[in-house]
Amino acid sequence: MSNATLPTRPINPTSPTSPGGSERTRATGTTPTRAASPTNPVTIVRAVAKAMWVTLVNLFRKPITVHYPDQERTYPDRYRGLLALVYEKDTGEEACIGCRLCEYVCPPAVIKVEMLKSEKRNYAKSFSLELYACEFCELCVQVCPTDAIVMMKSFDLATADRREMLLDKDRLHAIGLQYQQSWATGNLLRAMQGPPKMARAEEHAKPAGSDA
Amino acid sequence: MTAALPSWLVALIGPFIVLNAVIGMVTYVTLLERKFAARMQSRIGPYRVGPHGLLQPIADALKLMMKEDIVPRTADRRVYNLAPIVFLIPCMLIFATIPFAPGLGVADLNIGILFFLAVSSMEIVGLFMAGWGSNNKYALLSAMRAVNQIISYDLPFIFAALVPVLLAGSLKLSDIASAQAGLWFAFYPVIGQLAFVFFIVSTLAAENRVPFDILEAESELVAGFRVEYSGMKFALIQLGEYAHIIGSSFLGAVLFLGAWAGPGPEWLGPLWLLLKAMFLFLLITWVRWSFVRIRVDQILTLSWKVLMPATLLLLISTAIVVVWRAGV
Amino acid sequence: MLETAKTSRVEFDYSGGERLMMNMGPQHPSAHGVFRAILTLEGETIAGVDAVIGYLHRCHEKLSETLTYAQYPSIASKTDYVAAMTSEFAYVLAAEQIGKIEVPKRAQYLRVIMAELQRVASHLLWLGTWCMDMGGALGGGATVFLYCIREREMILDLFEMLVGARLLYGFYQVGGTRYDIPEGWERKCRETIDFIDQRIGEYDALLEDNPFFFARAKGVGVISRELAEDVGIAGPLLRGSGIAFDLRRAAPYSSYEDFTFNVPVETAGDCFARYRVRMVEFRESIKIVRQVLDRLPPGPISSRPGLKSVAQIRIPKGEAYARVEGPRGEVGCYLVADGSAKPYRMKWRGASFSNLSVLPHIIPGHKVADVVAIMGSVDPVFGEVDR
Repeated sequence: MSNATLPTRPINPTSPTSPGGSERTRATGTTPTRAASPTNPVTIVRAVAKAMWVTLVNLFRKPITVHYPDQERTYPDRYRGLLALVYEKDTGEEACIGCRLCEYVCPPAVIKVEMLKSEKRNYAKSFSLELYACEFCELCVQVCPTDAIVMMKSFDLATADRREMLLDKDRLHAIGLQYQQSWATGNLLRAMQGPPKMARAEEHAKPAGSDA
Repeated sequence: MTAALPSWLVALIGPFIVLNAVIGMVTYVTLLERKFAARMQSRIGPYRVGPHGLLQPIADALKLMMKEDIVPRTADRRVYNLAPIVFLIPCMLIFATIPFAPGLGVADLNIGILFFLAVSSMEIVGLFMAGWGSNNKYALLSAMRAVNQIISYDLPFIFAALVPVLLAGSLKLSDIASAQAGLWFAFYPVIGQLAFVFFIVSTLAAENRVPFDILEAESELVAGFRVEYSGMKFALIQLGEYAHIIGSSFLGAVLFLGAWAGPGPEWLGPLWLLLKAMFLFLLITWVRWSFVRIRVDQILTLSWKVLMPATLLLLISTAIVVVWRAGV
Repeated sequence: MLETAKTSRVEFDYSGGERLMMNMGPQHPSAHGVFRAILTLEGETIAGVDAVIGYLHRCHEKLSETLTYAQYPSIASKTDYVAAMTSEFAYVLAAEQIGKIEVPKRAQYLRVIMAELQRVASHLLWLGTWCMDMGGALGGGATVFLYCIREREMILDLFEMLVGARLLYGFYQVGGTRYDIPEGWERKCRETIDFIDQRIGEYDALLEDNPFFFARAKGVGVISRELAEDVGIAGPLLRGSGIAFDLRRAAPYSSYEDFTFNVPVETAGDCFARYRVRMVEFRESIKIVRQVLDRLPPGPISSRPGLKSVAQIRIPKGEAYARVEGPRGEVGCYLVADGSAKPYRMKWRGASFSNLSVLPHIIPGHKVADVVAIMGSVDPVFGEVDR
């Protein structure tokens, strides 16, 4: 075993390091306070009784099991679940404009979009999502300019056939109608993150029309 | 009725009933333990098969029967195949001498307790055969541990079990049971309680339950001596283990908890015994699900340096007390 | 050269000698598919151990070169999936250090809350799995495991309420955090940590005085101070060996200097010392979370606009090494930026990896049963070891 490069010594903790923190780093010592002599029969009996008391107390606590298929726990508002496409609320049209931003941002690259140019607005000619490789990182929702792609409060994606999890546009729209939608949409997320007044001078990124 | 049947058949009826009762009980005791452990861990336990999982043991048994029976190519075939049976037989035989009610038992030998202790320590042969025959390193290590542990713990087990024998003045289990009509031996001042505690501890070890389950030790030895077993052979080993635990629980109930004594008419006796045995079983289970296991060397230390001298001393002092009381 | 290191290499004797070679892993309940320890046994005593890693290698460092600063934080959580917040934190800090990006106070405080909650969650999982290794899945170990999981679940519920996910969060982003706390979260957080604080006492009652646990942990796997320094272990292991080094105290980041907390140190260096250190860390983390919640300032959660496109974050040329004190020790991220939206090179310094390297030094001489106890007390997460 070559031990050529030894790691550097850690910073000496006794040197004054942090300005804050009134409590100093302290050694709590090596010996535990109570279990110092586990050979003493009285200690052993008391400790055994204590441990068994804990399990006995837990015996009478309510089980925390949720009978999943019969009974679902309530999902929080921001639940990141199945992905779906939605229709616009006022016009009833597909909200997706096929801008492919989600395709670019997707870290595992599971989204494929083709744009269909049209006169008033664009549409997604095709939209496929490989849910079996999805990470549920919500980045696609985050970048969507029209709030078209959203997440559902459901993880109901188990299937016997992987191919069923290759979702096309119709399936995604169907999922959007089937389940309850989570809170997050692109605009809401960006509104939450954006600072009220941006210090644009310090921006290194191109502004790219970023508004809060 | 009985007169019409040949005598050899009559002799078989009792064991047949007991055997089936034990097997039935083992299947349901597993459910009891699973439910008990589950509640202790804030879970529910088996729930899906039948109402509240009541049919789960049957489903498990069916599953085990249908599993493929695999014999490793390098295993010592004869030893490997024989081991579960060799393991199971002593575990079943121990029920022979247990009196379930006055006069109700397969064979109320006058050396009943000796028979029990002798036969129950025979299970080690099966254990070792299983560990050796599998030709598996985990199994071999486990078999080595098994021999160490069970030999070490049989002695304190026997010494603790002999205390009621001394107090009752008989090796016959039914005599011991009826000697407790006034006072259960578990409540006999000091001696009884100590003997009871030692009995529980050595039972835990002899049954290789946590904290003494180094034979199985699945985080170290995968599943110990039964790592290569599957299907029905695995089921037989499991059956034997639980039968042994229940047998020991019954023995504990007979020796320390007054056997069939209890309020109510006399025919409730077996029920009382069963309840007491189940209480002991749950006590063992409770300990099992409360502690982490200890190391093999620590187990041996505990046995030879603590339990052995302590039980021996207890036995001697019991003898002195008995002689002294008889003298007075 | 260290003395114990010599014994770790053993010539395997297949000719029917006294020694027995036994594999612990990769197909083994205590190292389920991710780790292989080749043990050389003399009876029950271990003469040597060779550790084989790499079963979980996923090319994380190369992968990060293909993903932008906006994308990678969501993936970074996969290195150490038990404490997913930690690696995101390190990556984001490194990027901010190169880009000299300010982080709003609120975001810094939120980061601290999440890091500390994550530490509690991670330690809970450690305690549970360690006890399960020592106590068996069919015994008291499983009981502790399920209690710990039960309490960890409550923290995961908090995370879920905040970011919507339970395992891989993607909470951090360059310049701040991606999510602000929702309504009612603060109250629920306080309730949860109060509850867990109380339950930790229960674990103490179940374990600390317990003679069986004590026998298994005390004096087992002693890492001396010198060995700890030489091997370069970090985190609770280091502090269990008597070295008071905690990055939160030694090199504060993300406003850790605003809060008061103790850094527990034990000098024994055995499994029990590491247990004690972590048990105190539980309470200290909860203490920090309480302080942060009390002093959480209003304001923006990010100094940069919300993410609108994949290449929005560009970091100027430069390199930086950022490190955070994860539940397992120092998690470092070395980042080389070339001015584009993707890093030129990235290197992880996983705490588990360096901690794991201590195993061949301390395992020989122990019994087989101690291997799992020692490995559990080292608390390796193999996603972080192999990356």
